[in-house]
Amino acid sequence: MSHLLETDVVVVGGGVTGVAVLRDLALRGVDAVLVERFDLGTGTSGRWHGLLHSGARYAVRDQESARECIEENTTLRRIAPHTIEDIGGLFVLLPGDDEAYAAKFVEGCRASGIPTEELSQAAAHRREPLLAPDVRLAFAVPDGGIDSWSLLRSMAADAEARGCRVLVRHPLVGAERDGDRITAVRVHDAVAGEDRTIGCQWVVNAAGAWAGEVGRMAGVPITMIAGKGVMVVMASRYVRGVVNACRKPADGDIIVPQHEVAILGTTSEQVDSADDISVPPADVDRMIDMCAQMVPAIASGRVLRAFAGSRPLYKAEAPAVGGEAGGDTREVSRTFTVLDHASRDGLGNMFSIVGGKLTTCRQMAEAVVDRLAERMGVTTPCTTATEPLPGADHGTHQVAGPLARVERDQAYGELICECELVTRGQVREAIAAGLTELEDLRRRLRVGYGPCQAAFCAWRAAGMLAEAKGDAAAAGDGHPLAGLERFLEERWRGQWATIWGDQARQALLNHAIYRGIFDLQGLGVPDEAAAALSQAGEG
Amino acid sequence: MRADVVVVGAGPAGLAAATRLAEAGRQVLLLARGNGFTHWGPGAVDVLGRVGGEPVDQPLAAIDRLPEGHPYHLVGREAVRDGLDWFSRFSAGAGLPHIGDPEHNRAQVTAFGTLRPTCLLPEPAAGVLQGRVAVVNVAGFRDFSPGLCAARLREAGIDATPASAPLPAWDHDRYFTGVELARAIDDAGFRSRLAPGLARAAAGADTVVVPAVLGLNRGHEPWADLQAQVGTPLVEAATAPPSIPGLRLFAAYRSRLEALGVRWQFGFPAVGVERDRDRVTAVQSEGASRVLSTHCQELVLATGGVAGNGIEANRDGTLSEKVAGLPVQGFDGRLAYLGPRFLGEHPLAAAGVRVDAELRPVGPDGEPVAANIRCVGGLLAAHDPTIEGSREGVALATAARVAALLAATPSALRGANLEPPGPPAR
Repeated sequence: MSHLLETDVVVVGGGVTGVAVLRDLALRGVDAVLVERFDLGTGTSGRWHGLLHSGARYAVRDQESARECIEENTTLRRIAPHTIEDIGGLFVLLPGDDEAYAAKFVEGCRASGIPTEELSQAAAHRREPLLAPDVRLAFAVPDGGIDSWSLLRSMAADAEARGCRVLVRHPLVGAERDGDRITAVRVHDAVAGEDRTIGCQWVVNAAGAWAGEVGRMAGVPITMIAGKGVMVVMASRYVRGVVNACRKPADGDIIVPQHEVAILGTTSEQVDSADDISVPPADVDRMIDMCAQMVPAIASGRVLRAFAGSRPLYKAEAPAVGGEAGGDTREVSRTFTVLDHASRDGLGNMFSIVGGKLTTCRQMAEAVVDRLAERMGVTTPCTTATEPLPGADHGTHQVAGPLARVERDQAYGELICECELVTRGQVREAIAAGLTELEDLRRRLRVGYGPCQAAFCAWRAAGMLAEAKGDAAAAGDGHPLAGLERFLEERWRGQWATIWGDQARQALLNHAIYRGIFDLQGLGVPDEAAAALSQAGEG
Repeated sequence: MRADVVVVGAGPAGLAAATRLAEAGRQVLLLARGNGFTHWGPGAVDVLGRVGGEPVDQPLAAIDRLPEGHPYHLVGREAVRDGLDWFSRFSAGAGLPHIGDPEHNRAQVTAFGTLRPTCLLPEPAAGVLQGRVAVVNVAGFRDFSPGLCAARLREAGIDATPASAPLPAWDHDRYFTGVELARAIDDAGFRSRLAPGLARAAAGADTVVVPAVLGLNRGHEPWADLQAQVGTPLVEAATAPPSIPGLRLFAAYRSRLEALGVRWQFGFPAVGVERDRDRVTAVQSEGASRVLSTHCQELVLATGGVAGNGIEANRDGTLSEKVAGLPVQGFDGRLAYLGPRFLGEHPLAAAGVRVDAELRPVGPDGEPVAANIRCVGGLLAAHDPTIEGSREGVALATAARVAALLAATPSALRGANLEPPGPPAR
């Protein structure tokens, strides 16, 4: 076992919370290393609907969360506009919905500081032409869309530019304790295939839904509730802004347009493990049927795929919240909690940050790093709320932005992905930056995300990987066609439960391309390790 | 409107059936929603490429190993042979000669460097990869990767090296698709500028693999001319859709159908039928803002399976035939449609209409549900064209069968197009 490095703080978890913690530490001049078991954003941060919360969803029952959301919504628009689509949102009242709830909703928003505007039926339809004709009333709120991978990359780049380090594919495997302190963490270098230690003064557990496992390795009990949410991806946007049902949160009450698709969400079910991301087909049907009440065109639309994510819900010791597996987890507050394991468990140098949600990731980081800094004797105040992220000078993300870019550069002939407007230049840059897997290209560039679901782009990108590798394009796992097969099978896992109608035709045509024309026989069976490494986020 | 026979669908089966029926003197109306599998396929005539996952050497002989109910069993081996013979004559007459022998499969090189088993290949794709092989792209054409192709060919023991030929100056320097490149290569001047660079990239090679883009509207002439200028055999590799060899073939069918006086309605899908007891009396199709009825004696459905849009796969696992509402065996819910691996087999691909030996659709009891509907090609149940590699073979064999069945039927409207067919289209 070799000693990898020494640092002041080890941050565990490469989701938005962990990366936000790393950036906060970097801005305060603290040396820190983040370790992540897969790639950045492969847990909950990559498996969600992409809603920048206004807080209105929590305005009736969870006003603490609602206030956190609207504060951070405003902050993120300032420091990370390039990751945000400023599309606004509506809460719509359908026949059968309770008008008394609408009144509570308006009052809750007012009390939480969320600006709302009541729209008449006609005004709502002018804004969202595909809304159901029987929508009676709507409230406009400052919801938005946010691209978590873009946010992750910006925060990580900022932290790295300030001297902190990010180690992906380094799962935590243990902690070395000396009395009441952790002296080092053990990680497994998945690429080199060996364990290493990182000597440290402090540990921040930001593993989200997996915080309990990190706690177990450190010897402290943390009870997380795995709250699974299923989401359905439709092949076009349908709506200009976010559309929510104005009722007590329930399955299938939100439509978030994102890039070229719309995401329908979500269920909220307690499951035994955060790694349970299976998609029950009945959930897909329910989501479509419920969302079609708000936007009827969804009922006959093309479903691209479905996926599930695991909410990082924290079960506090004292009051019994949450319930048995199978129960609804909507009653668990979406606010966050800092656990100081010194006072709580007698472990002197570890904090955990649990609960919360993507919209509040920066505030969560600030809260835990404030506590840590106090104990470390670091007096530099938090500046993450005012210091813009790299890329912030580009303004908010416009859905037509990629098209404008392609038109400006006259790069049509350079497109390798027509759905998501990804050019050969972008893929070349990503390959030059060291990406070797199609899955990584997908998270970076959205290759394979669009309505054709990789019928054309994946093999073009595989060709570019092959050209880049040259003679090194050998047989075995590193072979570009083996990588392509892994990619296709990984994509398929999220598709086959949602295929009928036009999408069935698309699937069989894609099959006729890959198996029929190109004669890929699927012999490069992805092994378990490769499948685990390529496990990735959605959304 | 009236027609003797209405053929619905312009894929490999509908085009062959319409042509053969018109050649037999029937007055034909061809209705099509849009382009069919000619535009999607690899540009080959697959008869039977694999049985049980294993490559087949003798496709006609291997028919015996197919399961009961397969379209080949219904029409018989002679219809398969007849279909292929007819196609060879037709394609040669149209300036697109195909090479191959129904008794033995051959290998078609693909853009991935795989060698897919097939039966007949258009001349430009039919060359054998001998000696040193150069895999050459035209610089800037994004749908072909010589590195990917050559890497796989080397694994198959072929001495292949990737190379690139410069793109001659033309008016599409920033933006071109395979179709545009193929159209440019139709031009003799462009070819003479392309040839020297291609020859340099091919220097020292015994065979040159190129993407299948060597000409669009002039048959195989641009390929032959370029090959003569380069001085080395050129072999076109199968690329992704749209298939340029398929576009060449489609154009040849279209010329032939026009010469035969076949009426052609493209972009107006058939949406229903009118019936009198067990006979269809008319086909309804979408017209400009209204539904049109065409009265007919016979209806030939060549609308394809689920992939071809002849059958709708519903959310609840039931399947609907989209023109005549013919019975189609459904599934126990939609999860049974597809297999757990994308590159594996998918039951839905083999779903279709069950027919009797005269290609008439039958109900669950095996009795025909209509006396004058015939089904051909991908619409038929009990075969998976992709997994088996049987698409064009089934299309041509069932078109041969339907031509034999319907040519003999006396026609009330005969005489409408009895003038002899014109010279072969080029």
